[in-house]
Amino acid sequence: MTSDYKRFALTRAGQAVVVVLLAYVLTFLVISVLPGDAITNTLRDPQHGLSEEDIQRIVAFYGLDQPVIVQLLLSLGRFLTGELGFSLQSNLPVSRIVGDALPSTLTLATSALVIAVVFAVVIAYGAQYLPGKWAAIVRSIPSFFLSVPNFVIGLVLIEFFAFRLHSFTTTDPNSPVATLFAAITLAIPVSAPLAEVLIASLDHESRQEYALVARSRGLTEATLFAKHLVKPSALPSVAMVALIVGELLGGSVITETIFGRDGIGTVVQKAVTGEDQPVLQAVVSLSAVVFVAVNLVADLASPLLDPRVKLREKVAA
Amino acid sequence: MSTFSTPEFRRRAFLAGLGALSTSALVTACGGTTASTGAGSTTPVDGGNITFLIQGYDTGWVSSKTSISSYEGNLWGQITDKLVYVNEKGELSPWVAESWEELNGAKDFVIHLKSGVTFSDGTPVDAAAVVANLNAWAKGDSTRGVSKVGLFPSSNFVSAEATDATTVKVSFSSPALGFIATLAYHGCILLSPKTLALPVEAQADLSQEIGSGPFVVKSWKQGDSYVLEKRKDYNWGPAALGHTGPARLDTITYKVIKDTSVRTSTVVSGQADVAFNVEPQEIESLKAQGFTVGTPRYLGFVDGFQVNTQAFPTNDIAVRQAIQHGIDRDEILKTVYTSDWNAATTFIQGNVPEAGEFSDSFKFDADKANKILDDAGWTKGADDYRSKDGKTLEFTLTPNPYVPSTKAEDELIAQQLKKVGIKVNLKVVDVAGYAAVQASKPPLFQTSRSFVDVGTVAGVLTSQNKGEDWFGLGTSDQKLNDLSTAIATASDRASREKVADELQQYVLEQGYFIPLNQLVQRLYLISPKIKDVQYNGLAYANFYTAWISQ
Repeated sequence: MTSDYKRFALTRAGQAVVVVLLAYVLTFLVISVLPGDAITNTLRDPQHGLSEEDIQRIVAFYGLDQPVIVQLLLSLGRFLTGELGFSLQSNLPVSRIVGDALPSTLTLATSALVIAVVFAVVIAYGAQYLPGKWAAIVRSIPSFFLSVPNFVIGLVLIEFFAFRLHSFTTTDPNSPVATLFAAITLAIPVSAPLAEVLIASLDHESRQEYALVARSRGLTEATLFAKHLVKPSALPSVAMVALIVGELLGGSVITETIFGRDGIGTVVQKAVTGEDQPVLQAVVSLSAVVFVAVNLVADLASPLLDPRVKLREKVAA
Repeated sequence: MSTFSTPEFRRRAFLAGLGALSTSALVTACGGTTASTGAGSTTPVDGGNITFLIQGYDTGWVSSKTSISSYEGNLWGQITDKLVYVNEKGELSPWVAESWEELNGAKDFVIHLKSGVTFSDGTPVDAAAVVANLNAWAKGDSTRGVSKVGLFPSSNFVSAEATDATTVKVSFSSPALGFIATLAYHGCILLSPKTLALPVEAQADLSQEIGSGPFVVKSWKQGDSYVLEKRKDYNWGPAALGHTGPARLDTITYKVIKDTSVRTSTVVSGQADVAFNVEPQEIESLKAQGFTVGTPRYLGFVDGFQVNTQAFPTNDIAVRQAIQHGIDRDEILKTVYTSDWNAATTFIQGNVPEAGEFSDSFKFDADKANKILDDAGWTKGADDYRSKDGKTLEFTLTPNPYVPSTKAEDELIAQQLKKVGIKVNLKVVDVAGYAAVQASKPPLFQTSRSFVDVGTVAGVLTSQNKGEDWFGLGTSDQKLNDLSTAIATASDRASREKVADELQQYVLEQGYFIPLNQLVQRLYLISPKIKDVQYNGLAYANFYTAWISQ
């Protein structure tokens, strides 16, 4: 079992490295295809009044006049030695830009994840145990959550809680209350697929014989839910959570924009519009690392939640 | 069965749970105050803090590369000074330069500096520091990635030297009438020579930007907030602003909120004092609620199109003139903008002293436009679009992404030109895409360019002296060559003004430039309690004189 685990973990780690490198290279190539470059786009603003020659001299300083393949190799060389370089837009070290934005994103993503899980559990519980009509209504909540655009939720929450009730100020987006509302905004669409998966698993588990037996032996529904149904039903949801983390990292840009938070989503958005290659490459690689790591953890956790889940390698052996 | 499992109880428990959740949200929601706005007093008071909302400072703080003409310029203007001040009417007045002399037919200049001016690190703003700045503006240093200042008269710049601690002599190889005016341009901010000597990566740190302005950087977090505090020893503001001594406000906090509607609502709800750029459509209702909306005009070119005379179909003068007369600018002003916008009278903004009144040469007249095209052999087909020699009269317009509302403008223009048989396709791009559009030299390119001196115009019209050749004429139009040379080499303002008149008339009649309206690129939504915000000739709000009414 341990050597299987080791081999499994090593294979996964190897795959992870390849994924991260591919992400780095692909990001570079995608940006190179776009018209212009970070420096030209800034300096070509007609307001600067710079001539094409003036601009080209500065572009050359940043090495952006070299062939794409040379630029790629240079950038890859930097990356492999752990050097993330400097932003082409702001000239700040990429590590500082990412480092500044990360805490805000982690706070938001973690709170949103917790809230999403709470929403999903409450919805799934309601769908399971409310009488027919109510259960049907609760069951439709996930589709409703998915169909309301994120920015609408955010703007409504801001309008009501910030501007009418004054429970937080939009100028201090990192305060606990402002963070809570930003997290709710982000959690609502994220909780929908989670709730749907949980509802489906609960439906499945509560029809199993052991549930019937438990009920016949006089267990209350609440005890049955808490002691017997939650654990097996959680399995698909854990896999789902791993997928959701990606959405929390990358999909937070709208929430960040509306709540005025500076986070990874915003950094990505700025880097894309400004064609800021070094920043974008760093963030995409970082996201790849997080994504791969979370999925790895989810894979490794599965056998612990349900002994029936075996490692694929072991089955194959 | 226990009572827990009765459907009724389960439902109530569930709803009670939900209720508890929302109640706790409401409890957390308590707190927060409403600011009351008494706007009676007119005597300025010292002290207080304001919050200024802006959509972002994405291009950073390397002074030669920052978007000093848009967002970042708001902050630069508070932490730095210039040698010369320019007001909204384009009038120049002393600032750090106490006086100046124009010698030798505007080829030599002597600048006398105020004494006692210091950078925020205590070092003097003396002649040596000013020379270091002049050299950086004129030449930049491409080996260090430092760009020159675009509008500085570099091509004929010879040297700048300190003759004593407060005197600088600047020489040009040919007359440079625009030099003094350029010193008031937003690119020409005075920075400590130590800052200028830093590598660009170090200059990216805003706290390394040492200026001599009324405010200094207290703290900053990229992409989030930037706190400035006043310099207590500041005493060299422009006399034109009518205030001496330090700024009245204690601090200005620039806070990034990307969403325009949230910025506006935040100021309206009293949680912030100023917001940069609001939707023009909202101006009337905001004013009705007592808010100030500043719509300053900068000195420069109007919002409009530079026309490529080499591209189809604008290589035909008839087409250029038909577009010139086929656009109903009044309708654009009424539909897209508010009464705060002014009609164009020529292709330069009305506050430039040399701007003339040439509205007739681009007056809306659909009949005239149709006749010009008929006479030139462009015939209308079944689809109501004209064609000639089998080619449809059409081109693509790309709204200028640097100016809000240009998309709405260009949509309207497409409808208007359809009526004279010209087919206009729209292609909307972002800033990155716009650079590519410019490089492709389209028939019509929507431009926005500020300048402080009308001499700048000479640098864009033709390809003479490395000019920008906006119209693709090269040096083929002899009359334009002569006029532009006359402007560039003029050594007195009166004769230059006459030439400028002739030039404006000619450019408009030839359809080289198609003006739309006077450009407002920056809008400021200001709380009623903030008083005495002033705007310079570059349309930037200056908070040196601003104060908060109790």
